[in-house]
Amino acid sequence: MRTIATRLRPGKRGAATVGGARLREALVGYAFVLLPMAVFGVFFLYPIGYAIYISFFDWGIYGKIASVGTHNYHYLFHDHVFGLALKNTLFFTFTVVPIQMALGLAMAIVVNQKIRGRAFFRSAFYFPSLTSSAAITAIAIFILNADGLLNKIVGGHTPWFENESTALWSIVGLISWTTSGTMMLFYLAALQSIPTDVYEAAAIDNTGTWRTFWKITFPLLKPAHFFVAVVSVIGAMKVFDQAFIVSHGTGGPNNSTMTMVLYLYRTAIYDVHFGRAAAMGVLLLVIIMAFTLIQRIAFGRPEVQ
Amino acid sequence: MMLETSAVAAEALIPPRATSERVRTLLTYTALLAISALFFVPFLWAVSTSFKTLPQTAYFHLLPHPWTMAPYREALSKFNFALYMRNSAFLAAVITASNVFLAGLGGYAFARLRFPGREVLFLLVLSTLMMPDQLRMVPVFVMLTNWHLVNSFASYILISLVTAGNLFFMRQYFLTIPKDFEEAAKLDGAGYFKTFWRVMLPLAGPAIAAVTILQFQGVWNDFFWPNLLLQDTAHYVLTTGLAQFVFQYQTQWNDLMAASLIAIAPIVLLFIFFQRYFISGVVSAGVKG
Repeated sequence: MRTIATRLRPGKRGAATVGGARLREALVGYAFVLLPMAVFGVFFLYPIGYAIYISFFDWGIYGKIASVGTHNYHYLFHDHVFGLALKNTLFFTFTVVPIQMALGLAMAIVVNQKIRGRAFFRSAFYFPSLTSSAAITAIAIFILNADGLLNKIVGGHTPWFENESTALWSIVGLISWTTSGTMMLFYLAALQSIPTDVYEAAAIDNTGTWRTFWKITFPLLKPAHFFVAVVSVIGAMKVFDQAFIVSHGTGGPNNSTMTMVLYLYRTAIYDVHFGRAAAMGVLLLVIIMAFTLIQRIAFGRPEVQ
Repeated sequence: MMLETSAVAAEALIPPRATSERVRTLLTYTALLAISALFFVPFLWAVSTSFKTLPQTAYFHLLPHPWTMAPYREALSKFNFALYMRNSAFLAAVITASNVFLAGLGGYAFARLRFPGREVLFLLVLSTLMMPDQLRMVPVFVMLTNWHLVNSFASYILISLVTAGNLFFMRQYFLTIPKDFEEAAKLDGAGYFKTFWRVMLPLAGPAIAAVTILQFQGVWNDFFWPNLLLQDTAHYVLTTGLAQFVFQYQTQWNDLMAASLIAIAPIVLLFIFFQRYFISGVVSAGVKG
């Protein structure tokens, strides 16, 4: 009897029975996940509900002022600046996402070739993705100022970030430059997972390079397209840092760089309208979810590999 | 010049082939060098400017004449980037350590220990992966304001103690480790925590390296949360300090470029030494997440 119990014991301090060992394992499991789950619960899951709750109130720095029902949402639907912020964010998304995907894919294909120095080129293309948005924006402000390098090269005198018609486009360029490297890495991983016999078959059939790409590689990358598109759209919808820094937090000139998150930030921090800002956060989540759903339909269900 | 050499080198290396093949090689290298130049020129221009005196920054000269270290001294002494760098380093170190430990602990439990409700809890973890920070911004700010934690490092550390992405990443890695190691530890009488700490964590080296590097980079480069939670000058980090510098002294280009490069340098060094982990980390976080 004693020997059996000893044998079942997982360790010196273990429980005496199988049931006890199970219970102990479960208790240890709960203990191990307790702290992470507490962090997720308090700072991720609870805030979702709390954000929705706050969005139904007039809420200031000292908390609830009055219950206003759906007024915050009504206000936003009729707010001129919110409309502009939404328009700018959508414009930004529809320009940045295709550029990032095309550049990312092109760079991935190039560094996937059997060429000399491919590790160097891969690092070179990824390099801008390493840097902080603040530092890279500071450098971009310098390059794009009225007397900056770009104007010296093109021979103009445009203050790119301070001109209403070029400011948002300049942010598009800045972000395409700094994030395409990450998209390249995603595409590169997908390219390297395509079995080589597919290409061998194409080579036997004497299919041209261009045709091989469009008929074989491009369709096989479908799961990668879906993934990159989702990541890229979510990133674009959340654009904030660059717009905040180039406009000194104003979203100017004349609201041309006002993005949804920047307007959300301004509403919360400068205007102290937490209810309205929370409503904007909820709308942003709804829009991002809608985009993800549309993409899922457009690309089909990602295949299980 | 460089283009010619590489084309010639490529030709010497590869046995003679059809002209189309050679044209393709030439085009590939042209494209590669053009994109690389496009990606690097702004950085080179920033480096050059950071060694110039202010009057020189108005001219189109690639090399500074004379060279000066003054912008770096200015940035570190007059503009307090030394303090911002300390703040950034402190936050990045603390948050990275807590992420490695908590993501490891939780990841191990979700990968190996059996307890009722494990699947449901894990689904909850995964659901937070999808959530944009901008939705939780207002409620988290309201909560931290109520707890009088805004403008203290504790606020940023608390909300960043562990991320779902890191926990998921560690769990996936633990799943790939054979169970033999734990069973051996068990036979030696090691408890669960000891097994985790002495056996599993050391075996998860590559995963820990990836989490460490990406988390450190994430905090070091983060602008959104410090800009929201750490708004007084004593708590500025490099990114928010840089933004304030832009707002106040935008046209002191040499000092601004020096400060920007100080902010970039540590991550570039990390990248040079741990490139492998950067790339595998980004890719696996992406592919699995």
